Amino acid sequence: MEKYRGFGKKTMRLCVTIIILISVPSYGDFSDNLRVSLDGSARLNKNIAANNTSRIYALGLDTHKVFSSAYGDVGYMVGQLYLTKLSNQTPFSSLFNSPDDKQFVIREAHLNYTAGPQWLPNIRLGHFTLPFGLEASIDTNGRLLDYYHGKNLGTKLDWGLGFNKVLSQVEYEFSYTMGGKNEPKTDDSSYVFSGRIGSLSHYDFIIGLSFLDAKIDNIQRKRFAIDWQYYWQTWGVLGEIAFGKDDKFQKEWQEEKYSLLELNKTSLNEQLKLYGQYIFTDREGESKNQQLINIGVSYQLDAKLELSFSSRQQLNTPESGKKQNLVRLQLRYRY
Amino acid sequence: MKIILILTLLLFSLQYAYADAYCSLRDPVAQIQQLYPQKTNQLSIVKTVDSSTRKLVKLALPSNDLHFSELGQHTLYVAMKNTEALGYVHVRSEQSKWGLVEIIWAIDKDLKIKDFTFQRCRSPKKKLLDNKYFKNVFIGKNYKELKTLLSSDGITANNILLDKAKDAPELASVVLRCALKTLLITDILWGEELKKFNP
Repeated sequence: MEKYRGFGKKTMRLCVTIIILISVPSYGDFSDNLRVSLDGSARLNKNIAANNTSRIYALGLDTHKVFSSAYGDVGYMVGQLYLTKLSNQTPFSSLFNSPDDKQFVIREAHLNYTAGPQWLPNIRLGHFTLPFGLEASIDTNGRLLDYYHGKNLGTKLDWGLGFNKVLSQVEYEFSYTMGGKNEPKTDDSSYVFSGRIGSLSHYDFIIGLSFLDAKIDNIQRKRFAIDWQYYWQTWGVLGEIAFGKDDKFQKEWQEEKYSLLELNKTSLNEQLKLYGQYIFTDREGESKNQQLINIGVSYQLDAKLELSFSSRQQLNTPESGKKQNLVRLQLRYRY
Repeated sequence: MKIILILTLLLFSLQYAYADAYCSLRDPVAQIQQLYPQKTNQLSIVKTVDSSTRKLVKLALPSNDLHFSELGQHTLYVAMKNTEALGYVHVRSEQSKWGLVEIIWAIDKDLKIKDFTFQRCRSPKKKLLDNKYFKNVFIGKNYKELKTLLSSDGITANNILLDKAKDAPELASVVLRCALKTLLITDILWGEELKKFNP
């Protein structure tokens, strides 16, 4: 494994150098092909089970820039930097130091080099969503909709290197990342190998296979998953089934099964979106499995303003005796 | 101080936002390859569709409007064979009774339709129109020529097109409106810049 990590670091340094050198000629007018949005949101969370009300405020810049030369596009960059403020948020993410903390948070921040020959994959470098399962083709950043990447894999985003390509029938992405989650570093020999290969993501029926081999926060994880999406008119049926095992104490592996089934419906003008999810998790060593229901609705008032609501309920009583019961409301404005 | 100044300048340059985060943007690489098999790369040109573009569309095509997702920054792709431009690719959406229909248009350097393919169309009648028999009505036509296929209500296609549409008249009208808006917006926003590829 050490050998792979050394190789990964060297490859990453080489790729940074190549991408910088190649994209230098296209820096001429940086505002060309540059998209910038100011993205602000206020989220109210009512944790009924814990009798706690919290708020999360985020304000940031979302940017996308295409670099080009006389031969065409060289690649593109995505940068998302957000000032995020918590208010009475418990439990809080490891990014924060207290329930009322505020921090600058980097969401996606990566370069994707796309100008190689047809047979060569594109090269992605930076902080990006792990290529695994439904989340790989459906963006959930800043939304109440979630496919539980963070909970299942240990992190949703990580710093590292990826190879990706869209071919005539399939698309794929494989990555090696450092397991430092929000920081570009390895932490106690952390690493993540992950990948997904699937049918083209604009089809009405999409199917994908994913794998993950990782060590994050001193927990070793192995996963294999199948995901699918089927759209019929304004309806969608999505699913993900993952099998794997975790080694939390570096003693023994414990098997884990996870599945998600979603039914969604969109209005004809796409302003209104409704979804319902059933999530089943079964962990070896725990006496009871976990079954959750999520329902959500979002309404796009115009191109800038979106109001969304979601409710999560646990169906079965866990060992702790307290069923999850969370209601969230979010107002998001992009300018 | 320098960072604050740059951020302020960036904020003043902001116009119409894209409703989804930019990390969800994906280039239609496979479809461009299908429409221009000999292309070696594509060149992106991003322009903003704003309220003035919307007004011009409404003026040129009365009874028509742009869906809110059609506002904001959009990309026109120039299909490249090394440094030579082969033609253009533009993706546009049109609202229908099956949700949004997204069509990828291949446009030649004289701004005539070269070909098209459905990126997203959840109508069960898509197959009736996804063939050369129907597409040939569009191929080789410019905006003015295509506009003659529109009936007097400004929304539906006339019998010349509907005769080729078999049992899918509503979808045929959606395709026609999408083609007209695509050629119109391409000319309004990108026309001047594209002249360099067709001296």
